[in-house]
Amino acid sequence: MDLKEKLIILADSAKYDASCSSSGSSRKEGKLGNTAVAGICHSFAADGRCISLLKILLTNCCIYDCKYCPNRRTNNIKRATFTKEEICEITINFYRRNYIEGLFISSGIIKNPDYTMNLMIEAISLLRSKYHFGGYIHAKAIPGASEYLLKKLGNLVDRLSANVELPTDEGLKLLAPNKDNRKVDKIMDYVHKNRTNKFVPAGQSTQMIIGATKETDLEIMSKSSTMYNKHELKRVFYSAYIPVNKDKLLPTLQTPPLLRENRLYQADWLLRYYNFKVEDILDEKNPNFNLLLDPKASWALKHLNEFPKEINSCSFNDLLKIPGIGVTSAKRIISSRKYFKITFNDLKKMGIVLKRAKYFITCNNKYFTDSTFFNKNIIERNLILEDKVKKESNIEQLALF
Amino acid sequence: MKKSNYIYLYDNDFISLLSLIKILITKKVIPCNIKPNTYTPSLFEETFKEQISENEIIIKEIIDATSFYILNTMYKIFLSEHNDKEIIIYYFFVHALKYQNKIYYMRNLKSVTEALKIEKFVEHETHKFKGFLRFKELKGGILYATIEPDNNIILFLSKHFKQRLQNEFWIIEDKKRQLISIYDKNNFYITSSECFNILDKELSEAEEDIENLWKNFYKTIAIKERTNYRCRMNFMPKKYWKYIIEMSDKNENSY
Repeated sequence: MDLKEKLIILADSAKYDASCSSSGSSRKEGKLGNTAVAGICHSFAADGRCISLLKILLTNCCIYDCKYCPNRRTNNIKRATFTKEEICEITINFYRRNYIEGLFISSGIIKNPDYTMNLMIEAISLLRSKYHFGGYIHAKAIPGASEYLLKKLGNLVDRLSANVELPTDEGLKLLAPNKDNRKVDKIMDYVHKNRTNKFVPAGQSTQMIIGATKETDLEIMSKSSTMYNKHELKRVFYSAYIPVNKDKLLPTLQTPPLLRENRLYQADWLLRYYNFKVEDILDEKNPNFNLLLDPKASWALKHLNEFPKEINSCSFNDLLKIPGIGVTSAKRIISSRKYFKITFNDLKKMGIVLKRAKYFITCNNKYFTDSTFFNKNIIERNLILEDKVKKESNIEQLALF
Repeated sequence: MKKSNYIYLYDNDFISLLSLIKILITKKVIPCNIKPNTYTPSLFEETFKEQISENEIIIKEIIDATSFYILNTMYKIFLSEHNDKEIIIYYFFVHALKYQNKIYYMRNLKSVTEALKIEKFVEHETHKFKGFLRFKELKGGILYATIEPDNNIILFLSKHFKQRLQNEFWIIEDKKRQLISIYDKNNFYITSSECFNILDKELSEAEEDIENLWKNFYKTIAIKERTNYRCRMNFMPKKYWKYIIEMSDKNENSY
């Protein structure tokens, strides 16, 4: 098998992993390459996802038979395994030409977890020592591998992570009977406890498949929240389930639940940067997100008695609660209002998008329109309408191509 | 301050512009506009050339009067291709003298908003090109990249790649401005590409194979069920495609 065919097989098998970020590390050693704290996107694939790392599996051979996975043992597909030299050659050649920020390496499991992880360590070690590669490396730890191997791998890479794959233990038992969530938990625990500037400097992340099992958004977000608190994860990625296998245990979906995935990401942002808690945005009565409205707008409509907020006096935390206002905008408002009284016009000049925010704020006690329009039903209708108009115009523009 | 009817001319380099701005402020003149001396005035415009003694000391004077940040902002605006960048820099500096670093919060002033918008545009494009720039390997192992950015960002890109590819020989050519940056594993030099014409741009033997590998990787990594050309276009507009090797032979709807 030639290198091209191998690369196609092993990239195809790796593509369902959502993580491609290259941020959070500032590696300066190494003769070839460094890392940028902010991360750099080098290209964008036809699905609109950023390409920043050479995302491959070491091998797509696997002893496991997880129902959702394209590489499950019982699938009749072409199998390939990279040698460590091949991995190094491709990485270095791509990196020198500025195609990529670094390497993202995961693997199917051959023989046993320790054996597999050792192969990964050998390849990465060669890349760091012989090729003096100083670029970004994200490796997936193999659940069940020994601690001393985790230690070794963690010292070589920028990010080390393990995927929980499914939000609940029941889901995992059903679809991935060979996997054990406790093993993933153990990896996260270990990485979290030992993290330093040298050991996994960019921290860890994880991924959950959305829509393959019957979890509610509340269950998913609670799981995320627990992981953020317990293991200080940098990111949880949500990956809309795409049916690659047929199995009676798997749902049959016409299209992947992309809108739901989007809502989960929005809610994830609210947890990490906007001081929201899961119970603020979801509860037992409403365990799933409204697909028509983003979680922050839904929350604001439910708590309309706390609005409108006065831009010139409300606290930073209150600014963050306003739909349409992000962390940058909030900071900008706080620092600017020391020097002048902010009007609606100023907000526009400051680059703050008023499309959603205008319904929830006053500037110098003035509402953007007649204050009788400050009414839950009217605002809700307008917000949904604006989204709809946007979507319809999208479709029209797409049809033009 | 008195408003002048003249368009003031400078030598089309940053030092000259700063020197002119300093003279104008000392003389308390608000220019009608500032343009490089290659500017052809229209029938109703009058130009005026001040006697400028160019000296790099002006850089220190600007920093002393304001701050390094403000100088930096002015420089980035200068590297843009904005039609009125000179007069925008002038007004920005006048405000900066008054407000110092607080100016970055004074976004209610039109000239400040405008200046910061241009600065952001330049920074943004620099960041994009750190990803979108593509090197090709020439015979002998020299890496060669061609770019046509909207702003003159070759200096920032050179600094970036000096760190990143410190053990490589590389060349970046800005075709739009006929500028070329050459790195010799030690330092980079930016000069006019007319002075430094590379005759032998023959590609290395491995180049075609590697490019092919990359193009195949690019195609494979997308998830068909999630195809979203519009999203791709937002992040990677077509104007950049020409030198992005995985895109250069594609149209909007190709995989």
